[in-house]
Formats: sequence, C-alpha cells, structure tokens
Amino acid sequence: MEHSASAMHQSQQHAAKAGQPWLQLESIGKRFGSFQALQDVALQIRPGEIQCLLGENGAGKSTLCNLIFGVHEPTAGQMLLDGGVYQPQGPADAFAQGIAMVHQHFSLVSDLSVVDNLLLGQAHGFLRRGAMADRVARLAEQYGLQLDPHALISTLSVGERQRVEIVKCLMREPRLLVLDEPTAVLLPDEIDALLRVCRRVAAQGCSVLLVTHKLAEIKQVADRVTVLRGGRIVAHSEHPADELDALVQAMIQHAPDSPARPAAAASRSPRLQDEVLQVDGLGVTDVQGVTRLDNFTLVLNRGEIIGVAGVEGNGQSELASVLSGMSSPSRGRFFINGEELSGASPQAVTRAGVGVVPEDRHATGCITDLSLAENIFLNRLHEFQRWGCLDRAAMRAAASELMRRFDVRAASVDSRFGGLSGGNQQKAVLARELTLRNLTCLIASQPTRGLDVGAVQAVYGHIRAARDQGVGVLLISSELDELLTVADRIVVLYRGRIMGSCPAQPDQRARIGAMMAGQTP
Amino acid sequence: MSWEMMAVFIGSTIRLAAPLLLSATGELVSQRAGVLNMSLEGMMLTGAFAGALASWYTGNPLIGLLFGTLAALPVALLQAFFSITLKANQIVTGIGINILALGATTLAYREIFGSRSSEAIPGLSKWSPPVLRDIPLWGDQVFDQVWLLYLGGLIILLTALVMHRTALGLALHACGAEPRAVDKSGLSVARLRYLAVLFSGLMAGLAGCFISIGDIHTFTEGMTSGAGYLAIAAIIFGNWKLGRMVLACLLFGAAAALKFFLPAIGIQVPNALLIMLPYVLALIAVAGLIGRQTAPGSLAQPYSRS
Repeated sequence: MEHSASAMHQSQQHAAKAGQPWLQLESIGKRFGSFQALQDVALQIRPGEIQCLLGENGAGKSTLCNLIFGVHEPTAGQMLLDGGVYQPQGPADAFAQGIAMVHQHFSLVSDLSVVDNLLLGQAHGFLRRGAMADRVARLAEQYGLQLDPHALISTLSVGERQRVEIVKCLMREPRLLVLDEPTAVLLPDEIDALLRVCRRVAAQGCSVLLVTHKLAEIKQVADRVTVLRGGRIVAHSEHPADELDALVQAMIQHAPDSPARPAAAASRSPRLQDEVLQVDGLGVTDVQGVTRLDNFTLVLNRGEIIGVAGVEGNGQSELASVLSGMSSPSRGRFFINGEELSGASPQAVTRAGVGVVPEDRHATGCITDLSLAENIFLNRLHEFQRWGCLDRAAMRAAASELMRRFDVRAASVDSRFGGLSGGNQQKAVLARELTLRNLTCLIASQPTRGLDVGAVQAVYGHIRAARDQGVGVLLISSELDELLTVADRIVVLYRGRIMGSCPAQPDQRARIGAMMAGQTP
Repeated sequence: MSWEMMAVFIGSTIRLAAPLLLSATGELVSQRAGVLNMSLEGMMLTGAFAGALASWYTGNPLIGLLFGTLAALPVALLQAFFSITLKANQIVTGIGINILALGATTLAYREIFGSRSSEAIPGLSKWSPPVLRDIPLWGDQVFDQVWLLYLGGLIILLTALVMHRTALGLALHACGAEPRAVDKSGLSVARLRYLAVLFSGLMAGLAGCFISIGDIHTFTEGMTSGAGYLAIAAIIFGNWKLGRMVLACLLFGAAAALKFFLPAIGIQVPNALLIMLPYVLALIAVAGLIGRQTAPGSLAQPYSRS
C-alpha cells in the first residue's frame, strides 16, 4: 500500500489528511482452535481518515476489530503503534492508547440514565452527574449527536442507544474510533445522521474504522476501503467511490445478482383451500394496558409472499410473537390450514407446518451454547431418536448436508452456535425452518437484519424458492426495499393497525411511505 | 390493649428485625452486583457462633463482635470463589455452604461448650439515643436497644449513599445489570463482585453476632433458624430496593414479634403457628409478587467475556 499524495481522495471534501499511519497491523493471524479466522492481514490507520472494512459475514471483520481493541490476542504477526509494539491485554490497554470501539451489541445498563452509563468506569468517589450532563451537551453540540442526558436507557430507541455508545467512546478523546457494523440496526435517517457524525469525528483528527457491508455508506464516507474475505485481505482501494463494483466482486468473489425481480408467480384466483393462514381480528394489549396490535385481519394464500411494512415498534413484534405461539392474543383468532391455533404452543404451531424466523435470533431463534447441528434440528430432535437416545451420527450427517445446501460457514457441525457470525446463524435458522417436513407457512421477521449483500441475496433466494414450492410467506420487515423486492403484496402497520395494502410495485413506494407515517391512503 | 404493650410490641419488632436488616443490607449489595449469595444463613450462623465463642473466651463482647464479624469472611470468600471464579451455580453452592456451616458450628459447639452449654455469655450493652430516651414509655421500650442496632442503621444509610451517589455504587449496580458494560469500561467485574460478596459476609457476621451476643447472650445449635432465608425473601419482597427492603424486614420482624404479643394480650393461638408466621408471610409475599419484580438483569449469572 502506498502513501503517496496520489492516493488522496479528490472527490470528497473530507479528504484524508496526509500523514504516516500511526497504527499498523503486520501479517496478523488469528486462530480459534482449528479455525483460521484471520491470516496474513496487514492494515494501516492514518490520522483523521475514515477507513471502511468490507466483507461478508464470517470474513473476519469483527475478529480483526477485537484484536485491535484487545479483546483477543493475535496468534501471529504484530501490531505497531507509533512505531512501538502494541500488545493490548484487554480493552483497558486499548483505551489507554486512545482506541475506542462501538460493538454490534450494545453494552448499556438499561435501568440507568444516559449520564450514569457514561460515568461508569470514568468516575471516582462521589458522582458529579451535573458536570457530566454538561459535558454530554457540549459533545452533542460538537459532533451533532442529540441526546437527553437524563433519559433512562430503556426508554431510548436503538439509534439513540448507539449515540450513547458513541458518546461513551468520544469522551475518552480517542485517536481511533472502531465502529463494528453500526448501521445494521438503524433506520435510514439514523444512518445518515451517523455518517455525518463519522465525518465530523474524522474532521477533528480522529481516525474512524467503519465495518460495514452497505455500499452506499462506503460511497458516502470512505477515504479508503479494505476488503476481507475468508480471513484474508483480498482488495484495497484508495478511491473507493470509483471502484465499488470491483470491491463488491472481491468481497463475494462472484458478480452480485442483478436486483431485477424474478417473474412474479403467475397470478391465480385464490381458491378457498389455498388459504394457509387466516388471521381474524387479532389484538394484543400489553401488561400496561396499551394496545399493541389492533384488529389485524389478513388472509395468506399458498405460493404468496405478503410483506408487512411499517416503522419498527408498530405492532410487528407482537404480531410475529402471537403467530409463532410465543404469546396469546388478547382478542381475535388465527387459523393455519383451517385449524385454529390462537394461543397454541410454539410446538403446536411448528407441528401445524409453520416455520418461524424470529426477529431476535439470540433470544428465541437459537441456543448459543449448543452446537450448530443441534440448533439446526432443535425443532425436530425426535426424528433422530433411536430407542429414546439421540443418534448423533445421523444428526451430524443430516446437519452437514443442510449446512452445504444453505451455505452455512463454520468449522464443523459441532461448532458452538454462539461462535458463528450473525449471517451464518441466520442461514442456519433458515435451514431449520425451511426444511420442516410439512412446511406450508413461513413467518419471517426481519430475516436479513445485519446480513451482508451476499447473505441477503441468499435469504431472498430461499424465501422465493419456498414460495414457488407453494409455501405462504408472511415477511415482516422494516426495510421497504426488501419488501418491494421480495413480496407480492404489502400491508402497512401503523400503531398496531393495518393502514392499507397494495401490490408490491416500486411505483407504490410513496403511497406506502405515507401509510407508514400514519396517513390513510 | 395498653399503650405500654404497643410500645413493647414495636420495640420487639425492631429488635427481631435487626438481624434481618443487617444481613439483608449486605445481601442486597451482593445481589445488586449479580451474586445471589445463598450462603447468608451459613455466614450468619458462623458469625453467631464465632462471636459467642470469642466473647465467652475473652469475656469481652466487643472482641466477640470483631471475631464473629471476621469469621464470616472466609465463608463469604468461599461463596465468592465458587460463584465468581469457578462460575458454579450460586444457589447450589450457597445451600451447600449453609449445610456445612450448620454442621461445623454444631460440632464445634458440642466439642467446646459441652456441658457448659447453658452458661450465659457476655453480651453487647444497650444504648438509647439522648432526647429519645426521655420519651416516657417509648424511651424504655422502643429506643433502648443493643447499640449494634443503631450502628446497623448508620450502615444502611451509608450503603444507600454509596449505592446511589458514588462511582462504586454505580459500578456495583452495573455489575448485576449488565456486567459486559462494566468489563468494557475497563473495570473488573470479578473484583467488584468479590467486594460485594465480602461486604455481605461482614454484614451477615454482624447480624449473627446480634442474634447470639446482642439479643440472647447465648449460642444454640442452628440458632439463626432461617433468618438468612428471610432476609433474602425481604429483598425479593422489597423489589431489590433498599427502602422497601427495610420495610419488608420490619414486617417480618413484626410477624415474629406477634409470637410474644398475642399470648400477652390474651389471644390464644398455637405457638407453632405463630413461629411459622414470618415464613408464611414471606412465602405469600414472594408468590404474590411474581411477575412484577425487577431483579438485577444478570442476577446469579456468572460473567464470562465470550
């Protein structure tokens, strides 16, 4: 990699400041047991630059960040900081060297206020909450981060929580801010705000290492891009805005699928027996007496994908939770293939042929301490029983077959599920739910959240294939583009009610957007 | 019912609640930090025995108090080592320690005291605050208490101050709610949790001494008789909030005081039922609150980075 002036970015105003890299990674390798997560990785961080780290799930991006942040130690190579050897033994060492990181999973204490969370580990003796609140206000001004310092974390949105994490880092006045897939959980306007913050941070001289797989972000902010694949650096660009196609190719090693819609399933007039899911006036009232879902009525036919659109928190979680048997509706009923299942157990719902891709993978989609194979067959372990004992050999064989079919990348079927990357976990969940023997209906909530381009296309492919085989799919997503790409019909939820429905055509975008904002069509 | 009896009732309520208050305060800090220190009962019993032994041996109840308090520390250290370092199941470990403490104190008591078991042991003196001691009736019956009770009240106030107003309290709270956040802030989750468990050991030692050399001036086998479990119930009843926990302890104390009070005013209830009362009350309280409690998020969960 060269450091010449020609490498400077010309098209953007926040061009990287010239300067020697102050943090250098030299032929870094990291091995977990027999799994080589990183190999021969070299990376340089220059003052005040925004460098993007691009790669598919499991490419080793998070591992690389964790090495820099001192969570893991490299098994090969060395890191140099200002010319001296940098061997962090833990996050505390990284902090001491001015390296701060915002993780994918936030670590905030939800029953404490913003100020208390910021004071944690920073204060001694008596707490000076007032002084901290003033400091938050100053930082908010400086970087354009809006925050109420006295709000409880539990009352904040995901975007606001992320801002707290960023402020937490900025308070240490870091030289390097590492952001691990910060936009995966954000709404579009929140993403723009975050990228603006990144630019302001870099403009003040702090380097930013941004892990992402969203090309639009690279185009907007990146000074340089490094691409990881399979734990190795496969591409590097000093002018990423001009070389996006090449970078994507390098990332997934095959040309990205054209986003063109496959021909929609031939429209048929639905007959009565085509209905796989009938929902009749479903309502959910929570413990505080707030109506979360109100009079939700819908008919899902065989071979159809209905998208449920809406800004998050408008009843989608409650809908998915009731339909998957995790909670009972307060009002109304629903039927699968004519059989009433309102308030039935998740097991009964599964037995009726409903596959469920839950919104929160870690809470309800898997058991992270079990192996990949065990997780893949979690809902039908009885199929592998012989004389009451689990036939592990048969289960492993079947699991490795599904692993191949669904492109789940892991060291082996015995790998601990929690050690897999998010995308691979999600693929494994899909493998489990889509291979239910009598699958007739799939309830998928935010199935591509946090996944990279390649994995997203794979998930779309699996969902479409299921539809083409006659499965009815209810796709709940907060990403309108996703619904327009995959669904046949879209219903819009607003404050727990259906605002309206329309065919999933790109020209309906404005209309759907209005309904998402609560305007009647 | 006379005013005097009322004052006696209130006085004995406070006296009977005192060991609960002391031990529950320590336990609350430990649970706030994420360690369900189930060995409270065993630590109290150890403190009660060691306090009685040292007081009897030296003739000085102050030395007894010091010895009894320190004697609970190794037990707390054992609980901390199992639940923090070895990441063992905290409840199983705690119950094991309780059985161990009951066996060890019973054996040592029989070996050391033997036939002298009915001998009185020098106990802590009583004290009542100036001004308050001059209130008629109340001065004698309510405020004239073992001085350790007033020290306990002071410790509870200090604990509230530390938990709500200092960096240490914030870190302890975060240890039980979201240990990952503590770890990432550069503080040591293990060290903070050890500190919290040791504090609960100190407080349990004080509570045990209150029972043996404060209240009764003797030691009997298994004399804490479930007070440690009651203290834990008081924390659940108080929804892990210090103020409500104090009220819960007083409620349990009042239930225990009824045992003396009801016969005194002529209401005949089988004694066994009255002895049961605080425990039954605890059971009802805990059962009735299920689903409306907000325990620390990582209570009883060992922390590991991965």
